[in-house]
Amino acid sequence: MRRTATPPGKHATVVVTSPTVASTDGSDNAAVEPAPASSPRPPVGRRVSGWMFAAVPTGRVAAFRTVVYLFVALDPLWFTPWVRSHAAIPGVFYQPLLVGRLLHLPTPTPLLVNGIFWALIPLAVAAATGRAPRLLGWIVFALYFEWMIIAMSYGKVDHDRFGLLVALAVLPTAGPARHGGTRMTERGGWALRMTQVAVIATYFLSSWAKLRFGGLGWLTSATLERALIRRGTPLTDLLTSMRWPLLLAQFGIVAFELSSPIVFFVRSRLRYWIVGYFYLFHVMVMLTITISFAPHQVAMTSFLPLEKVRPIVWTRRFLRRPGDRLHRTRTKPSADDEHRSSAPSPAVVDGHR
Amino acid sequence: MRSLRRQDSGTADAIGVLDAGGAGAVDRAAVESDGGSHVDRAGGIGRPVRLIVAVVVAALLLYGTVAGQDDLFPIGPFRMYATADKLNSPVADTHFEIVDTTGATIELTEVNTGIRRAEIEGQLGRFQKDPSLLRIIDDAYVTLNPKAPSPVRVQIIIRWYALHDGTETGAYTNQTVATWTPPGVTN
Repeated sequence: MRRTATPPGKHATVVVTSPTVASTDGSDNAAVEPAPASSPRPPVGRRVSGWMFAAVPTGRVAAFRTVVYLFVALDPLWFTPWVRSHAAIPGVFYQPLLVGRLLHLPTPTPLLVNGIFWALIPLAVAAATGRAPRLLGWIVFALYFEWMIIAMSYGKVDHDRFGLLVALAVLPTAGPARHGGTRMTERGGWALRMTQVAVIATYFLSSWAKLRFGGLGWLTSATLERALIRRGTPLTDLLTSMRWPLLLAQFGIVAFELSSPIVFFVRSRLRYWIVGYFYLFHVMVMLTITISFAPHQVAMTSFLPLEKVRPIVWTRRFLRRPGDRLHRTRTKPSADDEHRSSAPSPAVVDGHR
Repeated sequence: MRSLRRQDSGTADAIGVLDAGGAGAVDRAAVESDGGSHVDRAGGIGRPVRLIVAVVVAALLLYGTVAGQDDLFPIGPFRMYATADKLNSPVADTHFEIVDTTGATIELTEVNTGIRRAEIEGQLGRFQKDPSLLRIIDDAYVTLNPKAPSPVRVQIIIRWYALHDGTETGAYTNQTVATWTPPGVTN
């Protein structure tokens, strides 16, 4: 609590600060630090608001931006190259989604599809640098969203894109962020939190869909057997001859999906283990039924302390000659070097303490 | 942790703003500039707007999950493999393929046509009603494989794999759903 400066003739104003929204170690934004015992517990609404806006280092936002936009640049080339092939497919095969009908989006033509392709890739690369985050972010979101609408408008809708689309929708609002930046940001925290919620909602609501379309019988059905028959690998040939591993897997999948929100209620160390388990789950899915969920996995990096991953800084350090190192120890480090120092204290805010 | 608490306690926050003199709402920007905030706040109109957007999107997603279909993408139900297959009923595995001028049967994929198998499955009823739509697949294949022998037949086949107690028996039957011969080809 502190007293703000009060203009002459005005009443004094007291600002009561949040006791709960700070991260425990400055490296993640999901843990909710308990309030001191003497502090009154704020109302639920304010605690939820504080949780949604828990500040994160700008370095994390910058790194997440880079990861997301590089994936978006790579996606049309590597993960969804078939979308571009739809440019040559007659419009009669086009079955526009509701969003396409509402927005009166045109039937894809070679000009439209190739135009998006050639615009999206360079603009996503530019956005990955962190420059003009709002302008480039909104343009990339619009282009990629249209790319996805085209992709899903020919009779098949993928269910691994929600988290990535949310990330693209919120990143333009996250404000400026520099790699290695240690200034804390609520806007960036909200963007990461919304992406995290979208990722976990994808898991949780997948089980809801199973109960809706398959009922409780889904748990003991032959659905995974069908998946293995359709998309199996040599590894899964071993599994299709046995019933019990698939039965256990189906119970395990639903248990995993329904319990996934627990990731928001644990401390950071356990949370990283849980997120690691999520990734392991997707490795197993890829090995058995060759579905990558790559965009979902990219969105899931929102849970990670990405600001600690500094490949360019590491490479520069590695390439620096021993003589340079000796020289640098005898000279005062520059402000730029200070920003690059590893494991920054969360209390250091862009050079200010 | 301690340093973070210190940092937060030195800045204004939306969680609690009290006006000790009863003068009304505090200008957030003024408070923050006064304190030299070290945190980039989501203040002003931005905070409630973000909260409202989050609630609206969550509500739409919930609606899509409870009552929607794939047509609602991206807020439709996450229904991949969400149906329950019976333990002793055959399961379907759809193929689309061409037979070319050499007599070879070539399995078609998204790689050699740009069309995903699931897209064929998603519009299976249309192909059944009007097999001439298979010309779309023919054109797509020829476009991506201009030097390959020409197709003389395009077909969609569902292979029904028999199950017993939820495991594959190894037996299957083929069901030809739609077949089409390109114009000018004589059998």
